[in-house]
Amino acid sequence: MDDTLQKVAGIIRDLFDEYDGPITRDLTAASVPQWDSLGHVQLMVAVEQLMGIRFKSDEIRSFASLGDLIDAIDRKKVAT
Amino acid sequence: MLIAADKFRNIANAIELQLDIFPEHRTYLEKRFSGADEASLRFADHVADWVMRIAGEDIGRIWEDYRWLSEMVLEEELHFRRTGAYRLSTFEEAFAQVYSNRQFMSRYMNGLLASQLWWRNHTEVLRFFRDRFVASNVSGFSHLEIGPGHGLFLHLAASSPGCASAEGWDISDTSLEATRAALKALGGRGDLHLRKADLFAPPKASFSSITFSEVLEHLERPQEALRILHGLLQDGGRIFVNAPVNSPAPDHIYLFEAPEDVVRMVESAGFAIVETLFAPCTGATLDRARRLKLSISTAIIATKQA
Repeated sequence: MDDTLQKVAGIIRDLFDEYDGPITRDLTAASVPQWDSLGHVQLMVAVEQLMGIRFKSDEIRSFASLGDLIDAIDRKKVAT
Repeated sequence: MLIAADKFRNIANAIELQLDIFPEHRTYLEKRFSGADEASLRFADHVADWVMRIAGEDIGRIWEDYRWLSEMVLEEELHFRRTGAYRLSTFEEAFAQVYSNRQFMSRYMNGLLASQLWWRNHTEVLRFFRDRFVASNVSGFSHLEIGPGHGLFLHLAASSPGCASAEGWDISDTSLEATRAALKALGGRGDLHLRKADLFAPPKASFSSITFSEVLEHLERPQEALRILHGLLQDGGRIFVNAPVNSPAPDHIYLFEAPEDVVRMVESAGFAIVETLFAPCTGATLDRARRLKLSISTAIIATKQA
């Protein structure tokens, strides 16, 4: 598991504590009952705070899978 | 199927209509009703009936405005998560951005009406109010509600056989019109009095029962409001206070960070606590809601000791 995925997985385990399945790049909100629209906002802000980045509103709505989120984080880390 | 349509016809109808307009809400609504016991579903079925009676032919607009509200609240949530604070902090800001905008207010109130059914904490507080507050009031009680809004609390209090008189106060004509229309749609007593009144300059009156639901978080000086209510309540009278914790919304300006903050404020105004309900938002346990700073409705029954 790469470094970014590992860090985000820690947040997911903390926020969505009922989910006990594997956390991979293919994970989507549909597989995690607690990952609803409110949970998504909480996840995004927790990621922002841990990684020291900021998402735009349209980015927050655009992630179809965890892999999309990981890629966006890595792009922002390179850019900073 | 989210709900047994043969047993809870009103909820089933409401879900079907809501999902026509807001299909992405299916998972949330599944979570909303999963694990609910028979009694809470029976109560929610009444709430669904009340919502549909209040809305009448405008029911489609209620579900549309609920979708609008849900999306708007996410923007508030984003700000709250990033800053740890509500977006607005003064009544003047809330008036300029929300209360003075009639169209916004209309949509907001419609959305909040639907939330009485769709947000589990809202339904639970309403049920707690009916079963633990109104049902335990002494026979012949005189009732006041400040900010009756969608009218459901006032309807439940006024329709109690033990209620001798009931009135509602609000500073907003628009809000009073909505309450008046809702109470008419729900039927009930014709002598219920709605009047424009400012809690901070109250008319001379006293009551043995007061409802103060979802108002504290809209005020810059909530402690002062509670002290005034203490003065309006008769010795031995009972008050029902309900305020949300960690609940960002476009017109919330006073942030309570834990249910105990609300309880302490009610006590510090001179009331004695009788009973509390801490109702976490849909899908969360109370422990999880506390840990993640999720919304918790804090309902308090208190009394004014002689």
